Amino acid sequence: MLHRDLLVRLCRARERLRDVESEPAMSVAAVARGAGVSRFHFIRLFKGVFGETPRQCRARARLERAKRLLVVERRPVTEVCMAVGCSSVGSFSAGFARRTGAAPSDFQRRHRPDPGTPGELPRTLTPGCLTLMGAGGSGTATQEKRARTGSAKLRPTPTPSP
Amino acid sequence: MKIKLYAIHVDDQARALRFYTEVLGFKKCQDIPLGEFRWLSVVAPEGYPDVELSLEPNANPAAKAYQEALLAQGIPVTAFESDDIQAEVKRLKQHGVVFTMDPTSMGPVTIAIFADTCGNLIQIYQKN
Repeated sequence: MLHRDLLVRLCRARERLRDVESEPAMSVAAVARGAGVSRFHFIRLFKGVFGETPRQCRARARLERAKRLLVVERRPVTEVCMAVGCSSVGSFSAGFARRTGAAPSDFQRRHRPDPGTPGELPRTLTPGCLTLMGAGGSGTATQEKRARTGSAKLRPTPTPSP
Repeated sequence: MKIKLYAIHVDDQARALRFYTEVLGFKKCQDIPLGEFRWLSVVAPEGYPDVELSLEPNANPAAKAYQEALLAQGIPVTAFESDDIQAEVKRLKQHGVVFTMDPTSMGPVTIAIFADTCGNLIQIYQKN
């Protein structure tokens, strides 16, 4: 059984892993130490609670940060690469392309920040049947598709059939 | 008036569908693509086959903050009933599910709490 204080430490560890801005070059081992558990135990527990490994969580956060820097802040690719803790532009670009379907430079060219809410990535549609809420800055590969077709935003929100 | 649908937020819909179907044993009900996300719902393996659990993306920052706060406070987002909580917990643990509370008798019910791997704690209970 996972005790309450350890759950809290795991939640904090996840926050640290997602905070690419303050600590671009942080290691999983350092976060595990911060949580006060061995690296092996940390990875196993993290995966059990959050459904992904610390490394996967970190990679997702870096990708989101990179997208934001490219689209909202219009920063050059090499700068974005450094800002997310990557030392090789080649491997950064390859990793980015694998996850989003577009190289960073293409991604930047095709996307513009949301004109409605400055400082945000383009808004994405959520199934708002219940919450009618706008989406935050969590884009994925389908942003590419949307950029190409321009249709997703106009699609009506269906309600579940009775 | 009746309850036909209950919604919880999940931080990854694909992972949520895997966990709720492959681990918990729910069945997929609705799966309609909506841009980046899906209108996704499942039904429980036992009980009322017409009551859907909707797995909504937590893309709104407010939903995200609420979900993360509840998790860190150890508070489950909802509760499912079981006829045999001990067997259920044993089965889920074999699947690697992490419990934050082992089956505990609380007067009229026995409860247990587990992480659903999508940012939530879920309570299961059995009436004593």
